[in-house]
Amino acid sequence: MAGYSYRYCWHCDIGGGQHLPRKNCLLMNFKTRRLLSSDSRYIIVVLAPIILLIAFFIYYPAINTFQTSQTNFNLRIHREQGKAKFRGFDNYVKLVEDEEFWEVTGRSFKVVIITLPLEMAVAFGIAMLLNQRFPGRGVMRTLTILPWMLPGVVNGFLWGWLLNGEYGALNGFLYQLGLISEYQYWLREPDHQLFWVTVVQTWTRYAFPTIILLAGLQSIPEDLYDAAKVDGSNALSRVRYITFPLLLPSFGIALVVEFIAAFQIFDVVWTLTAGSSAGGAMNPFTKTLMLYNYELVFRDLRVGLGAALSYIILVMSLFVGLIFVWRVYNQGVQEQ
Amino acid sequence: MKLSLRAQERIRLTFIYILCAIVLIWALAPIYWVAVSSISTRQELYARPYKIWFPSQPTLESYHTIFTQGAKFRDGSFSPTADLMSSGLRNSVIISIASAGIVTLLATGAGYAFARMEFKGKNAIFLLIMLMLPLPIWVSLIALFFIMSQLELVDTLLGLVLIFVTLLLPLSVWMMTTFVRDIPYEIQDAARVDGADRWRLVYSIILPLARPGMVAVFLVGMLSTWNNFLIPLIFTRSDDSQPLTIVLTLFIGQYEVAWEDMSAAAVVTMLPPFIMALFFQRYLVRGLTMGAVK
Repeated sequence: MAGYSYRYCWHCDIGGGQHLPRKNCLLMNFKTRRLLSSDSRYIIVVLAPIILLIAFFIYYPAINTFQTSQTNFNLRIHREQGKAKFRGFDNYVKLVEDEEFWEVTGRSFKVVIITLPLEMAVAFGIAMLLNQRFPGRGVMRTLTILPWMLPGVVNGFLWGWLLNGEYGALNGFLYQLGLISEYQYWLREPDHQLFWVTVVQTWTRYAFPTIILLAGLQSIPEDLYDAAKVDGSNALSRVRYITFPLLLPSFGIALVVEFIAAFQIFDVVWTLTAGSSAGGAMNPFTKTLMLYNYELVFRDLRVGLGAALSYIILVMSLFVGLIFVWRVYNQGVQEQ
Repeated sequence: MKLSLRAQERIRLTFIYILCAIVLIWALAPIYWVAVSSISTRQELYARPYKIWFPSQPTLESYHTIFTQGAKFRDGSFSPTADLMSSGLRNSVIISIASAGIVTLLATGAGYAFARMEFKGKNAIFLLIMLMLPLPIWVSLIALFFIMSQLELVDTLLGLVLIFVTLLLPLSVWMMTTFVRDIPYEIQDAARVDGADRWRLVYSIILPLARPGMVAVFLVGMLSTWNNFLIPLIFTRSDDSQPLTIVLTLFIGQYEVAWEDMSAAAVVTMLPPFIMALFFQRYLVRGLTMGAVK
């Protein structure tokens, strides 16, 4: 039936693939002209709510936030946004000159820099394991991915309880193995807190890179390994010269996604170390950019300043984010 | 000396299962421990330095406590946990099912349009939707909070559902677009020649065939909404709309800490995602990896 697909236009939508302009379409000219008006009605009905939602809840507020970022809007002083004064880029300058801003930014990047290698190492190891053939592999895969599907706040809580200094299970476990002689307060030192935040973030997220890497591993043809074996290479050099180079694209995807996730870390920190239930002070030692932004806007009520910070965060993650969208967009629209 | 093939295979499998055990401890131990904590008696749970890894008398006492009594958790104000738990459960269920349902309908209609129709501005609209994905959500949330307050949508279930539907749109539309594109053209040709309009096509041909995709979109939507914390943190204030993730954090960090009760609350919060992950993982993975894995 390949012969007929080029005789019709998009509105008739028969056959897929190549379509003629509407005036040359066989059907459109005598039978299905009414479909044309029904097509546009369909598109309007289906897309209008989506466009409205996105315009109203995402893009309009985004523009509004940018305008706010150029005012001195502070809820403690101004009851309404209209009374705030235009200040140009003062807020941005104020932030960049503020020591706390650099501290928080540094901390956010530190979280990213520790989390990403940790996650990739764990994910690569597990993916290699799951790529082996053994009975029970399916069950194993299902169980391994579980933590990723749980709420981040619960994960923070789970680990907070595990690491508890007085009654924590980690203490009990290590003590019973004889590895520690007395119970430790794992979350007491500021440096340790940040480390544990990255561990919990790794625990929450490692499943994603594992799945990506596993899919990558499964697409490597067996023959390559067989050929290398014939040439007498050992297991280690096969990983080094075959597995690794061929996995690079998978690592790329995983790194981009995990960068965004780690850079915008919030839930896990909130329950693990932020120590801030309603209204309490926020632990300064694990305050990352997102928590800092929350604090500025919703605790300190310095809305203008917080709005400026949100745009600085946008610029910082924009570059990596755009790579991601570009890939998704290409897959969604152009590969037809 | 060369080992026989069978012996070699046995060694390989033993080695693999040892590694599997290590991985499972890493993945499941925290979950196991919170589940055990929630059914332990207080004496056993607080035992030290030797931990009791499985309670000698498992009890559901903590679950009973969090759903029927309270007043010992929240700082300052008297607020029975019993009410908080049940309202949280109700709110979580309502917002996740409503958001997932609405977004599935919207995304299916739009997915068909993007996959099978040609219209002005198609690529621009698609890009506009996808650009939301990497947008750090704060940029919108700050102003959105003030807009929602003016509309009196803060602390309402309707407000939450509207925001969640919007946030779920890019992923869902993308999933349905790729899904509809994979449905063979031949099936709809006959109907089209007979003059069926788009509604008819979507309803009687695409819907039945796209059902696995719709299920995936629905489940991913439900899971993400249930797990979300940031949105309700900003847009809820009272038990009118606070979901379980918020309720759980209200229990944490108070002066009287009852770990066994908090563990029970944590288990209740993570049970639905846990069950979904066990039984519908194929759908969820497909959705959450955005087609990076088929």
